[in-house]
Amino acid sequence: MKKKSAGSVAIMLLVMIYLLIPLVISIIYSVFHKWTGVIPEGFTLHNYVDLFTDSNFLASVGRSIAMSIIPIIVTIVIVLLALFVTAIYFPKLEKYVQIICMIPYTIQGVILSVSILSLYVGSSSILSNRLVMLMGAYCIVILPYIYQGIRNGMRAVNMPTLIEAAEMLGASKIYAFFRVVVPNILSAIIVSSLLAVGIIFGDYVLIRNLAGTSAPNMQIFLYQTMKSDSTKASAVFVVIMFVTFVITAIVLFMKSREAKGKTHRK
Amino acid sequence: MSYIRFENIVKSFGSNTVLKDINLEVEKGQLVTLLGPSGCGKSTLLRCLSGLETVTSGKVYLDDRDITDVNPKDRDIGMVFQQYSLFPNMDVAQNVAFGLKMKKVPNAEIDKRVKEMVDIVGLSDHLHHYPSELSGGQQQRAALARAMVTNPKVLLLDEPLSAIDALLRHSLQVEIRRIQQELNMTAIFVTHDQDEAMVMSDVIHLMYNGKIEQSAAPTEMYTEPVSKFAATFIGHYNMVPVDAFKKMTGVDGEGTDVAFRPEVIDISTKPVEREGCVTIKGHVGVSLPHGNVLRYAVMCGDHQIDVDVLFKKATIIPNGTDVYLTLKQDDCIFL
Repeated sequence: MKKKSAGSVAIMLLVMIYLLIPLVISIIYSVFHKWTGVIPEGFTLHNYVDLFTDSNFLASVGRSIAMSIIPIIVTIVIVLLALFVTAIYFPKLEKYVQIICMIPYTIQGVILSVSILSLYVGSSSILSNRLVMLMGAYCIVILPYIYQGIRNGMRAVNMPTLIEAAEMLGASKIYAFFRVVVPNILSAIIVSSLLAVGIIFGDYVLIRNLAGTSAPNMQIFLYQTMKSDSTKASAVFVVIMFVTFVITAIVLFMKSREAKGKTHRK
Repeated sequence: MSYIRFENIVKSFGSNTVLKDINLEVEKGQLVTLLGPSGCGKSTLLRCLSGLETVTSGKVYLDDRDITDVNPKDRDIGMVFQQYSLFPNMDVAQNVAFGLKMKKVPNAEIDKRVKEMVDIVGLSDHLHHYPSELSGGQQQRAALARAMVTNPKVLLLDEPLSAIDALLRHSLQVEIRRIQQELNMTAIFVTHDQDEAMVMSDVIHLMYNGKIEQSAAPTEMYTEPVSKFAATFIGHYNMVPVDAFKKMTGVDGEGTDVAFRPEVIDISTKPVEREGCVTIKGHVGVSLPHGNVLRYAVMCGDHQIDVDVLFKKATIIPNGTDVYLTLKQDDCIFL
C-alpha cells in the first residue's frame, strides 16, 4: 500500500515537473539579460519594471480580464434561462438546444471571425462595433463548455424534483430555479467559467481578426513584444500565467470558503 | 360533502391513458392509502391532486373548492417525495422554514414554528445539519417537517419510505401515523407495499390498471377481497380454480377461482372431521420459516397450497409427509 502511494507521488511529481518546466524556464529567461550558454547571465528585473510602468500593457491586462468576464456572465445567464425553459416547459426541445450549443465546437476561430466580419461590418447597429463583435464571438466560442457544465450540474441535482418540491411549498418556478437550483449548481458554473477563462485568455485569432490592434489584449501585446524583445516577451508570458493563476485561485478560494462555512455551521 | 373529491378523473399521456374515470372521496382527518403495483396510476392520481400534473378531464375538489386548474403553489397542499427532495444548499432549519417564508410569515413566528415541527419529528439535534449530513430516515423526517410546517389542508406522501431500510421503515410508518393523528391532518399516502398500507391507513384504495379496484378499511380489504387481483395483491391468498377445488373437496360455487388465506388452514398428519369444514389431502413439498410463521408448501394434485402455522420447532412436519388440510367453508371466497 505504502509502495503504491510512493509510486503515485512520484508520478504526480513527474507530471508537475513536466508541466512547470516551460513556466520555470520562462521565469528564468525573463529575469536575465541573456541566456546563450548553459548558465544565464546578468540578473535583472527591468523587464517587469518596464511592463508594470507601461500603461499599454496594464490596459491590455484590464481588457483581457473584462473581455473574459463579460462574455462568461452573458453566456451563463443565457444558458441558465434556456435550460430552465427547456427542462421545465419544453423537455422535448432539449436535444435541439444541445445540438445548437455543441455546434461551436466544430467552428474554427478564423472561420468564425471572417463570418462575423462579413455579416456585421457594414451594419449601422451596435453590432458593427468591433468590441461588441468580439464579445459576441467569445460568447459563441465558450457556449459548449458553459452549456455542458451547467447541464451536467442540473442533472446531478435532479432539478425538476427540486422545483416541484419548492412549488409545493408556495414558490414560483422561476423563484425556485434561482433560489434552489442555481445555488446547488454553483460548482458546475464555476468550473465551466474557469474553463471559459482559459479559452478566452488563450485566444489570439479572434481578437487579431475582429478587434485588430484597436483593442489589444495580453495576447496581442505578447505577440507584438515577441517581435522586438524575446526576454520581455517571456516576462509578458509569466504575467499572463500569473493573472490566470490569480483568477483561478480567487474563484477556488471563494468556493472553498463556502464549503468551509457549511461545515462550520454543523 | 367529502373533504377531497376526485370526479371522473381521466389522465392520458399521449395515447396511453393512465387514469380511467377515477371517482374517489376522502374524509377530513383520515389517512388514506393509494395502493397498487408499479404503473397502476397511484402516483399520477396524487400528482393530479397536487397540481404537478394536469388532468385530461374531470374535476378535483378540496374543501369544497374546485382546484382542478389552480397552480400547485396556491393549492395549500404539502407533499413528501420519494427521494426526499430536500434543498441541498439549505440546512434542516432553512428547509423547514422555506414554505413559511413563501407565505411571508414573520421571522419570529417562523423560528417558533420550525422549532416546534422539528421537535415533533425528532430532529431537534440536527437543526443546523445539511441534508448530506443526515441519514435517509432523518432526511425523510426533515421532508415531513417541511411539508407539515405550513399546516396544509392535506398532506401527500408519495412512496416516502420506499428508499429506507426495513427496520427504519417500520418505525417511520408508526411515527408518520402518530404525527398525522396528533395533528389531525388529512393525508394521502401512496405505496406499493400492502403491509405498509395495512399498518397506516384508515381506508385503502386499491388501484389496478388506472382504476380503483376496491376501497375498504384495511381489515375488510384483507378478509373480503372483491377480485382475484385484490386477493393476490393484499396478503397471500391461495388461489385454486373452482373445478380443481370441487375435485379436492366436493364443494362447488360461482366464479372461476377459490381464494383462501394460508393462516386459516389447519394442517395435520391425520384426517380431522369438523362441521362446516372441508378437508384436502396432500403432501408437504417444502417448509420455510417466515419470521414467527412456518409456511408449508403442500402439494395437492397439481396445485400448491400454502399453509401458515406458528413456528414451533417440535412440531415441524418433515418434507414428503402425507398431510390433511382442514379449512372452514366460510373462509373460502369464490371470485
